[in-house]
Amino acid sequence: MNVAGLIARKEGGDLLLSPRGLAWLLTMAVVLSVFGLLLVGNTELSLLDNAQVVYDMGGIVTALGALLAVVVGTDAVAGERERGTLVSLLLTPVSRMGILLGKLGGQAIAWGVMYAIALPYFWAVGSTGQNLADGAVSVALLGTPVVLGFGFLAMGLGARFDSARSSLLTGLIVLLLSASPLLLGPSLQQSAIGRAFDTVNPISNALNAYDAVIIDSQTIVAQFPHFAVTLVWLAVALWFAARGFNRVSR
Amino acid sequence: MILEISHLKISLGGVSILHDVSLSLGEGEIYGLLGPNGAGKSTTIAAAIGLLRRDRGQVRIMGKDPRTEPKLVHAKLGVLPERNGFYDWMTAVDYLGFFAALYGLRPSQADLRDRLACLGLEPRPGQRIGTFSRGMRQRLGLARALISDPALLILDEPTNGLDPRGRHEIHDILIGLCTNHGVGILLCTHLLDDVDRLCKRIGIIVEGRTVAEGTIADLVRSHDHLARFRLHLNGNISKPDVPPEVTVIARNGNWCTVDLSPEIDPETAWRELLFMGWPITEVRRESGGVEDLYLSLTDRRAA
Repeated sequence: MNVAGLIARKEGGDLLLSPRGLAWLLTMAVVLSVFGLLLVGNTELSLLDNAQVVYDMGGIVTALGALLAVVVGTDAVAGERERGTLVSLLLTPVSRMGILLGKLGGQAIAWGVMYAIALPYFWAVGSTGQNLADGAVSVALLGTPVVLGFGFLAMGLGARFDSARSSLLTGLIVLLLSASPLLLGPSLQQSAIGRAFDTVNPISNALNAYDAVIIDSQTIVAQFPHFAVTLVWLAVALWFAARGFNRVSR
Repeated sequence: MILEISHLKISLGGVSILHDVSLSLGEGEIYGLLGPNGAGKSTTIAAAIGLLRRDRGQVRIMGKDPRTEPKLVHAKLGVLPERNGFYDWMTAVDYLGFFAALYGLRPSQADLRDRLACLGLEPRPGQRIGTFSRGMRQRLGLARALISDPALLILDEPTNGLDPRGRHEIHDILIGLCTNHGVGILLCTHLLDDVDRLCKRIGIIVEGRTVAEGTIADLVRSHDHLARFRLHLNGNISKPDVPPEVTVIARNGNWCTVDLSPEIDPETAWRELLFMGWPITEVRRESGGVEDLYLSLTDRRAA
């Protein structure tokens, strides 16, 4: 296994074996359970149709994944620096890029675990309709760059800020702003500013793509423009993380 | 020289931390880096290992600049930083194996256990690092620093948290590394006993400047300190003569207090006194060593 793989495996261990990481995953599972119960209850009461429930679950999984990515990304750089473990890694004969790639791999593992936890919830809310596969595939394709982008952003913030708390707070603010389409009403979203924000916002693009695929039954291939925006977001976040990580001193 | 730092100047966030720090360390040598809190010792170490950008000055480790050739330098460098963190969920063997793999090494589990045992660390099977005492963590940090059989070891307070026996064991290990393997050790500590026991040469940093550098004997001599010793005598002195560099201060039963002038090496003085019939059975230093030198240099600067 190459060094990036070794570090990625260590990062995965941090998530799956440390009490801290297990607590985060447990929290995610509890939140998904609560939302899952609400959605199933609404479906049984015929307040929501199956497509809408799967779409909602896709949005929740993406938002929770991004939240977990911000927490894991902050911990991977700023948290390790505060605990005094980062300097030991920096002093090995592994390049900064190698360490960063390992940590990016750790982000991918975290999202993979989160997605695996979410799949039974998708099944629970969507198994009675025709939208389950579309929802799961859409989240895998469009949610992945969105979530990983937030993780990389948090790593870049962690490299730049002196404290983990400051970088976590900043990451959460950016996430909250990006997720504002979920919070704003339709009228605000239809304003010029709302539309412009929607065009560049990765979460909006992912949600619009979910809407088109799950509710409007469009093909995933037709969502390429949305996919492209999420990829640009991922690339910018990766650049931000790489630039920041090169400046980490201790 | 295995480590050379010359006229190092470092600023952090626009504040000048180091103004002019120089030191040099050869193979098989233990060099003590001393200074009060906030003097810039840890910053010097961070600069030496290439983690900080320099405003001015040079750092060379085995002839290479750690900023421009970090991989080559880090491959032969072992560091025990001041803030030494661990992955608490790992076992000590897994932890050491992880770092060995990052150095491209593939030691067996038995090898790793042997390395830990050499440093007096024998945790229970499956015991996680999170349950380790401070002393155990310090030994594990040292094991990590030694995993690549480094040519240069940089240790920031390596005996912190160790009991007296543990300190003694670590001293013996460090002396063995120097004498048997030619490892150069930069030892940053506040424990002057450690310095007295381990180091021949020291550097003292005060307010970001090297204020003294050289062998302990030369520095003590150059700062004109009289060294005071208590000698235990087994019986009476047949002829109470002393060499001119030795002054008898007091006599109390079998104990005699003497001052040595800087011109004479203590070993030579004891030899001459024995030759003159002094039945010396034990020598204890009262003052005039590293501690006095350190206090006088740091006091002078503070004033």
